[in-house]
Amino acid sequence: MYNRESKILIIVPSYNESMNIEQTLTHLSQLKTHFANLQICVINDGSHDDTSQKAKTFDVVVIDLPFNLGIGSAVQTGYKYAFKNDYDIAIQFDADGQHNVEDLIDLLTPIFEDEADMVVGSRFVEKTDYKGALSRRIGIFYFYFLLKVLTGKRFTDPTSGYRAKTKPVIKEFAESYPKDYPEPEVLVSLTNKKFRIKEIKVNMKDRQGGKSSINLVKSVYYMGKVSLSIIMQKLK
Amino acid sequence: MVVLFLCAVLEFARRGILEIKYTILWLITCVVMMVLSLQTTWIEWLSNVTGVHYAPSLLFLVAFLFSLVLIFDLTRRISNINHKVVSLSQEHAILLEKVEKLTKEEGN
Repeated sequence: MYNRESKILIIVPSYNESMNIEQTLTHLSQLKTHFANLQICVINDGSHDDTSQKAKTFDVVVIDLPFNLGIGSAVQTGYKYAFKNDYDIAIQFDADGQHNVEDLIDLLTPIFEDEADMVVGSRFVEKTDYKGALSRRIGIFYFYFLLKVLTGKRFTDPTSGYRAKTKPVIKEFAESYPKDYPEPEVLVSLTNKKFRIKEIKVNMKDRQGGKSSINLVKSVYYMGKVSLSIIMQKLK
Repeated sequence: MVVLFLCAVLEFARRGILEIKYTILWLITCVVMMVLSLQTTWIEWLSNVTGVHYAPSLLFLVAFLFSLVLIFDLTRRISNINHKVVSLSQEHAILLEKVEKLTKEEGN
């Protein structure tokens, strides 16, 4: 059903990523030689720097949001674009240089073989050289535990944003997608709706530059908020 | 006080700043406050019935509950509006991209 000729959209949400965007897009553009119908879509989430101008020098679609909507709504814009333009597969790819272009083909393989509706790139399926901050790791473990209790399934890397989705999932996300920290929450909603989710091993680097969207003060608030929305999702 | 507030409500409604449905809400509030402050016997009777010793504290309780319900309703409405604003800006951005692409094609 899905193959290398499928229409693939890579969604790159970016907020003030002027430092990283060119390198990320250079890497991603190389993929166009491997896939016939691949398009890259940069969602500029109301950046104050020249992220948009820099992105426009590449052969990519640039969608400028009028003001900062937050990561969830920015990515959802990409799904809406993918849905409207009849894409078969959508992949979220962070602009900050964390994600590896080489892993993208692995990420697509389970979809080509019809094993999954969504494939999650995980740092913890096998041991990789990822060395995140301790606070980040504690957060990841906490969500792993919470999701295990709620869904009975093992998601070793619930906060990973590096994911490939098939058409039915794109439609789902175009209709509704959480606003701020969507990654753990959609695992619950998709499991509820009986979508097949598969994790594969990927390597992630630490940020190459720029500022992360999550700081320490916010993370406790973030964990509480996401926990609540996960539980609400379960009760739906 | 109440009369002043009533005038303000009417003035804002006249200028179209306040929507009619909220105008109705505040007009009713004004009338209730006016009646209760002019007819103190009513609130005294009510506090006797409910067993509240000090009549004005019943007034405060009612006012507090009213404010709470109102604030809750407002946060609900803000969430709703927020949701709409997000959808609108997403649609707007996608359309803008399409328009730019079309004008570029036309130029060529």
